[in-house]
Amino acid sequence: MSVEATDAARQLAATKHRARLGALLSLTLLVLLALLWVLLAFSTSSFWTYGNITNLLRQGAMTAILAIGETFVIITGGIDLSVGAVVGFTSVIIAWLLTHGYPIWGALIITLAVGLVIGVFHGFGITKLGLPPFIMTLATLTALRGIGLLITNGATISITNTDFTGFSRGDFLGVPNLFWMVVVVAVPGYIFLHHSRFGRYLFSIGSNTEAARLSGVNTVRMIYIAYILSALCAAFVGILLAARIGIGNATQAEGWELQAIASSVIGGTSLFGAIGSVHGPLLGSFILTTINNGANLLNVNSFWQRVITGVLIIVIVYFDGLRRRRR
Amino acid sequence: MANKPSTNQDAIQGDGDNTKGAADTVAPVLALKGLDKRFGATHALKAVDLIFEAGEIHAIVGENGAGKSTLIKLLTGVYLRSSGEVFWKGQPVALATPHEAIDLGINAVHQEVVLCPHLSVAANLFLGDERVRYGLLQHSTMVREAQKILNDIGFNLPAGALLSSLTIGQQQLVATARASTRGTRFLIFDEPTAYLTRQEAAQLFALIRRLKTKGVTIVYISHRLEEVFQLADRVSILRDGQLVSTQRVSDTNEQALITGMINRAIDQVHYKETVPFGDEILRTENLSGKGFQEISIRVRAGEVIGLYGLIGAGRSEFVQSLFGRFPKTAGQIFWKGKPVDLRKEKDAISRGIALVPESRRDQGLCLNLAVGLNINLPIYKRLTIASVINPFAEAAAADRQIREVQIKTASRDALASSLSGGNQQKIVVGKWLNHGAQLFIFDEPTTGVDVGTKAEIYKLFAKLLKAGAGIILISSYLPEVYDISDTLHVFRRGRLVATHDSAHVSEKALHETILTEAMGV
Repeated sequence: MSVEATDAARQLAATKHRARLGALLSLTLLVLLALLWVLLAFSTSSFWTYGNITNLLRQGAMTAILAIGETFVIITGGIDLSVGAVVGFTSVIIAWLLTHGYPIWGALIITLAVGLVIGVFHGFGITKLGLPPFIMTLATLTALRGIGLLITNGATISITNTDFTGFSRGDFLGVPNLFWMVVVVAVPGYIFLHHSRFGRYLFSIGSNTEAARLSGVNTVRMIYIAYILSALCAAFVGILLAARIGIGNATQAEGWELQAIASSVIGGTSLFGAIGSVHGPLLGSFILTTINNGANLLNVNSFWQRVITGVLIIVIVYFDGLRRRRR
Repeated sequence: MANKPSTNQDAIQGDGDNTKGAADTVAPVLALKGLDKRFGATHALKAVDLIFEAGEIHAIVGENGAGKSTLIKLLTGVYLRSSGEVFWKGQPVALATPHEAIDLGINAVHQEVVLCPHLSVAANLFLGDERVRYGLLQHSTMVREAQKILNDIGFNLPAGALLSSLTIGQQQLVATARASTRGTRFLIFDEPTAYLTRQEAAQLFALIRRLKTKGVTIVYISHRLEEVFQLADRVSILRDGQLVSTQRVSDTNEQALITGMINRAIDQVHYKETVPFGDEILRTENLSGKGFQEISIRVRAGEVIGLYGLIGAGRSEFVQSLFGRFPKTAGQIFWKGKPVDLRKEKDAISRGIALVPESRRDQGLCLNLAVGLNINLPIYKRLTIASVINPFAEAAAADRQIREVQIKTASRDALASSLSGGNQQKIVVGKWLNHGAQLFIFDEPTTGVDVGTKAEIYKLFAKLLKAGAGIILISSYLPEVYDISDTLHVFRRGRLVATHDSAHVSEKALHETILTEAMGV
């Protein structure tokens, strides 16, 4: 009896240990981010200025939102390669709608609906047609850019609605509006993933789809939901991007899907599914953004920035995996 | 100790009789009429009629392949029956999906744990049925309730722990707890004690008895006959997809059950050619490792050594260590008289040991590559000039083996996946012959193959023996291993418990002896 009791205690301890590791990873990332900021503040005169910090928050906001959406998909064991293309495509949609006289609220709803439809299409391809998520979203990646270019005939649509573009430059309580948008996505995202049954179902699908299905979890619907959320986040970012740069162009946001995946993975999400959080990708995306921002300020060749980003991903994920294995 | 369970059982049977008295007027919980299932040419279940009463523990026994798994899958809605009728409390039901079965109150605890390792015990218990308030998960409520459920049913498990931090046995108990707490009226256990410790098994039995008193019908499938007699009220025997008999356990005994399980005409397919034995190829002396202890066997050229036992008896682990996959912990291996240390698969392969694994799809073949490529995979080094493949040598080597082991394929360029199961097996054998293997280990070579292919596989054995190779054959199908082997070793719980020389004397009495040894009755 006592043997079993200590056994149970040991298992609880192991579980708590793992939870602590998760917290430790977030903490490590937080420390890393702080360290980067301190280093940059000392080595450049322009980093620690209101203008640059707000700029950094604006830049990081979009990757962060994409990364949160991407994380829902990765937790199910899937991948969404299309998010960058969806951003470009929806920037065209909202620009077109605004230049054709739609009111802002109408344009917003329609654009988000387009994102929803894209997500439904992904879910359909993956669950009904049985396509691997990688292939399905790779296909829409290239197709959406094509459709976007067809709509504008390759041209760029300029947005003249200053109410719309002004939003991205504005701030609230001294914090840029774009960063508030991260809060708007992340807080419900956190509740959804960690405190609702749907979040739990996403984890269970990534852990053992069969077990989830046999438990009466509607796995097909949950996969739809994951891809819909990812596409909705991307469409939202498309709107923010259009507001920020004042144009709609389908070739925008090239390679952002990889930024989003990298942010998510740096934030502790496992590409095998079932492990991940909302706060991890948030930190991951701001680390990546800080590195790019800092490299700019330090006049590091932008080609080197890509190399540094690549090396950083390998190092962080390696150490994370090392720690997980040791347990 | 022997008395205690039986008195216990008497009390339970008393209960059973009471419920049955009432059941004369009420329809049984579940009734099967002419339940039948075919998979293509295979007739897995043949017109089975069975009745399950409320609150009874009904054991089902039978050899591997007797149709027990098929029956479970039909009852839980995983498979759809080919014909026959199922009545739930007198009403005909379709049982077309797992969902329908769960809604009726039919649940199963499978031999392998089907839960989410990344989630906590509590989360697994409530998966699909979470406690939610205002749309938010009630984490602490669920952990508290889960702990209460676990304590109530006598399982000492931490509800807050991650499932993956538990042992397999404990995970199995979690699965049991899950299956028994969701309005379940009919619960099927498939070999539930296979991975449990003695203590855990006792906890499980206590739970089963408690469920019974609450009127839940239990179907208990096990190879361990002593458990059947400890627990069950009635026992049904399945053999070759047919129901042999249903009896009260008090009206039968272990020997009678075993006789019922194997009473069949000895299969005529088992073709065996006797070859004079040559020199010793491999010998083990008191070899021990994970899952097996102190195994001593000898294989000579031209000899088939059969390893028989139930699933989990340690046979696969034993041969895996011969193949260098798991290191031995004690004892010695001799290869042609000299002691050898087989630490990696490479060590075994280079000496000439070939493993034809149980799951060809996973371990033996690159299914979506060409037949020729599969055959040549171990010997590409010999087919190259300065690391560039010589296409003529490659083609010649592939064609030679295709002829040698008579693989039926359109050409060496056909995909391995396009071949039948038996021919895929031949590719694996051809591959190792090509490499010059002298000891072939076959792990369940005939599971899921039809009779014709079986015969071909046995002919292939004869060919290997004539070529001077030795064979170790693992099989859970007694007639096969019995007829094909020159020497038959019986494994039970990691130990070699009996050895029969020149076993291929078809004699029913010996059959019974061997099955009795393997089950440890």
